Amino acid sequence: MIRTKSGSQRMVKGIGNAVLVLMLLWTAIPFYWMFVTSLKYDKEIYGYEATLIPENPTLANYATILRDTPYLIFLRNSTVVAVASTVISLIIACLGAYAIARLNFPGRALLARLLVCTYLVPASLLFIPLFAIMSALRLTDTLHGLTIAYLSGDVPFCTWLLMGYFKSVPTELEEAALVDGCNRVTALIRVVLPVSLPALVVVTFFCFTRAWNEFLYAYVFTSTNAARTITTGLVNFMSADVFFWGPLMASTILSALPPVIMFLIFQRWVVKGLTLGAVKG
Amino acid sequence: MATSATPSVALPSGSGTLRYQSGKFSRFLLRDRTLGYLFLAPALVVVLCLVAYPFFNAVLLTFQEKTAGAPGKYIGLDNYRELFNNPVFWRTVFNTIFYTAASVALKFVFGLSMALVLNQERLFNNFYRSFLLIPWAIPTVISALNWRWIYDDASGLINNVLVRLELIDETISWLADPHLAMFSVIAVVVWQGTPFFTMGFLAGLQSISKELYEAAEIDGASVIQQFWHITIPCLQPIIVTVVMLSTILTSAGIQFVLILTAGGPADRTMIFPMLSYAYALGGAQRLGMGATVSLFFFPAFVILIYFLTRRMLREKEI
Repeated sequence: MIRTKSGSQRMVKGIGNAVLVLMLLWTAIPFYWMFVTSLKYDKEIYGYEATLIPENPTLANYATILRDTPYLIFLRNSTVVAVASTVISLIIACLGAYAIARLNFPGRALLARLLVCTYLVPASLLFIPLFAIMSALRLTDTLHGLTIAYLSGDVPFCTWLLMGYFKSVPTELEEAALVDGCNRVTALIRVVLPVSLPALVVVTFFCFTRAWNEFLYAYVFTSTNAARTITTGLVNFMSADVFFWGPLMASTILSALPPVIMFLIFQRWVVKGLTLGAVKG
Repeated sequence: MATSATPSVALPSGSGTLRYQSGKFSRFLLRDRTLGYLFLAPALVVVLCLVAYPFFNAVLLTFQEKTAGAPGKYIGLDNYRELFNNPVFWRTVFNTIFYTAASVALKFVFGLSMALVLNQERLFNNFYRSFLLIPWAIPTVISALNWRWIYDDASGLINNVLVRLELIDETISWLADPHLAMFSVIAVVVWQGTPFFTMGFLAGLQSISKELYEAAEIDGASVIQQFWHITIPCLQPIIVTVVMLSTILTSAGIQFVLILTAGGPADRTMIFPMLSYAYALGGAQRLGMGATVSLFFFPAFVILIYFLTRRMLREKEI
């Protein structure tokens, strides 16, 4: 009995190891290809002399992308829009989430439902009317227009995440503050927000990444390089030139770095944040 | 880079003015009821202006012939009539359902396997966890571009390797072959989307009490029995939430199709956001037709969103 159990457990472990290796390869190979392509000269990228391992690694593609293309402008645009929409969303969301989680007023549950519903409405249902509205207001092809558009998803998203966190802050803490002469506003600022700092970090990460990775609105609402973000700029590179894969892969590496580094730094909280927020069991 | 310090720095200045209001008014302002609406007002303005109004606008657009910048002309149900008589539309309906179902099913299977594996005791587990989640962290556009290059006819990785191994004589057009294109796109969607399932399921697995498994083992339950009678029932709430969320995001996601195939070859990978985009911004700028495509799919989303909202709020006890 004991022997068979340890035998079956060893088998499960073995299968687990095999699956893990496959999954690691499946995940790693596209990154490998992206990375080595970015290090190769055109000669090694195309045709008969194409190599799987670069023979003469070079950083020329990175130089091309930084020197000869508007990549740095895209980078600036992405940063501006992501930071602006994150900051604005967080301020609006902190207030809204606090109201829903802590204050007692009629219509609270309904408004909470409304906010979650809007978070779930996909961008592809809204981009056409938003495009018409943006054109009418002459907000297309501007960074503030894009920032405003991003609020449509980021505000409900952040509010919803923060709702859960604020709910988990012990009420006693806040009641003590209220007894000590705080009102709701000062209680939010002095008690609830400092206690929720880890949550705010997670929400900041989610919101920033969302904006950084966003594609559809940026693609539809911009038409010149002055307002393009990284995601749309890169797609435009692709359609502009056939033999562009070296520099393009260099730019994808550069563009993937900020969210990946942020993810690795915040990873512990992100996974925990998902448990608390998105998929609490 | 935005930091967590920002909101707590920005907030006091905004609300500080409240404290300087005179007695009676400030008491009125600080009542739960007033303050609740006041605090929610900015979020509601955003939702009304950027979601509710555009949605209302989209409904009106479906009855109009309209290009960007020009005023629309009401044409009754002509857009719907034209759409329903277009075979491409029905192909799109089928494609959208197939694309979503296949992608979500595969993401589910891979995500669950990955979570089970990562939940085992192992050296360097934290490294594997971080690494396997990276496809989720990078922009989807970048995954799509990278895979387009992997699939490249002449010099892409797959053809390159297959030719070297002498498994094929002629390179395969992964994204241009009508029989392959849909599957090629789905593979990319699965590559990018599996980590989200893994993360959710792993969190769920870690919250299952070890004692349940120990008790089952004492009763002589096999590993497979334990999986079906403990793991799956305990994960069930997470499974439902993740699958519904992913169904919405997958079916409505345009990046992969737009970058990999643009709906081609011969509309084999045309899904509804792509068709909507093609009508509204692909040349003729028929915003009305584009909105009609989106709106046709809206009832399905309403059902998903309704149930998902209930679940998500119940989990937070709001």
